[in-house]
Amino acid sequence: MSRVYERLSTAILEGDADKAPKLVERGLKEGLAAKDILDNGLVVGMNEVGVRFKAGDMFVPEVLMSADAMQASLKVLRPELVASGAKLIGKIVMGTVKGDLHDIGKNLVGMMCEGAGFEVIDVGFNVDPEKFVEAIKTEQPDVVGMSALLTTTMRAMAQTIKAIEEAGLRDQVKIMVGGAPVDAAFAERIGADGYGSNGPAGSDLAKKFVGAA
Amino acid sequence: MSSPESARPTPVRTVVISCQVLQDLLLRLLPKDLAAEAIFMDYGLHRVPARMTGTLQEQLDAIEEPSLVVLGYGLCGNGLKGLKAGKHTLLVPRVDDCIALLLGSYRTYMREFQATPGTYYLSKGWLESGSHPLKEYEEYLPKYGSKEAMWLMDQQYQHYERLVLVAHDAADLETYRPQAQEIARFCERWGMRYEEVLGSDEYVRRLVEVAAALDQADGNFLVIPPGGEIRQEQFMR
Repeated sequence: MSRVYERLSTAILEGDADKAPKLVERGLKEGLAAKDILDNGLVVGMNEVGVRFKAGDMFVPEVLMSADAMQASLKVLRPELVASGAKLIGKIVMGTVKGDLHDIGKNLVGMMCEGAGFEVIDVGFNVDPEKFVEAIKTEQPDVVGMSALLTTTMRAMAQTIKAIEEAGLRDQVKIMVGGAPVDAAFAERIGADGYGSNGPAGSDLAKKFVGAA
Repeated sequence: MSSPESARPTPVRTVVISCQVLQDLLLRLLPKDLAAEAIFMDYGLHRVPARMTGTLQEQLDAIEEPSLVVLGYGLCGNGLKGLKAGKHTLLVPRVDDCIALLLGSYRTYMREFQATPGTYYLSKGWLESGSHPLKEYEEYLPKYGSKEAMWLMDQQYQHYERLVLVAHDAADLETYRPQAQEIARFCERWGMRYEEVLGSDEYVRRLVEVAAALDQADGNFLVIPPGGEIRQEQFMR
């Protein structure tokens, strides 16, 4: 396997927004496939970021730097992904639930999903259940992603799922949830279809939902 | 009022393990013997909830005699989730985090929360031993430089609307106002407004009372019997 992959995942892990996109360029020049650069370099790096953050070996500033390096890399890579014939694999409506204005995690999952080939409709933060319902009606997504940072606000996920059910839209979408206080047991309890523990896990889950994993 | 010692129903030992953020309130309200032996833990444990559980578990397990352990914590981002009582009985305020304890009741916290979700709270405990946006920025500066440090701050705080100083009496308000206002000026870059709230020690006072008479524990408290484990659902109300 090319050395570029390893160096790229390290650059992502270290949050080096100068080096990472340059390594993407070098990989492309070497003839590596855009999708391989994404999967073997960028995603590997972000996976490690997710693991280290959860374990307390990385903190929010470092994660933000990594996300920034990821974004800069995707900017270079995306045109190549499109040119190489990667089609949109689905559509996701994504937001941070009502009462919660923390959007770093949600943005990160959104970025990973975009990288994986989804069209991402970001409905923002502090999003009312009704706004999620409206977005499902107008955007007709395959997947709905909800995020919360606080245990105080994670209850709003259950309320949002209920609103989606009451609007008769529950069967149209797969629902994934994530955020610091959320776990798989909570996701199951509130009737979500799945839980993602970090950015890459979120996009993996979304891919599984649309049969692209 | 009878002394808390004589009101205690069983002769078990009581041990207090609490976050530093509540140190001041607890030391004022606890009976002297409990205050002297209370263990106060670093305020920043909640930042890594997965580790917080382990740290608190070690503290619990280190108590040899079966005891009533009063935890000066809320669920704290799941930091208490999975904590095992072992041979002890645990008494925990049924709150998400320390803000309800500082404001005095769960209802007050919910009212404040619903009115302005994007609120950053400061208190004596937080100002003395905790963190706040200005301190964070100052910590980022040498590491990242001013431009990058500010970008990191923006990413984390740009959607916040309000900075609130919670104090428990007028004297504390006076004492901590200058520092809080300095932080408020820094937070103006995100359009945050500054407010002061006179909190209440009611919740922590009740915690201390219930610790002395466990049968008084109502819906505001969780009592975990020996062998039990703290679960996230128990805090949902």
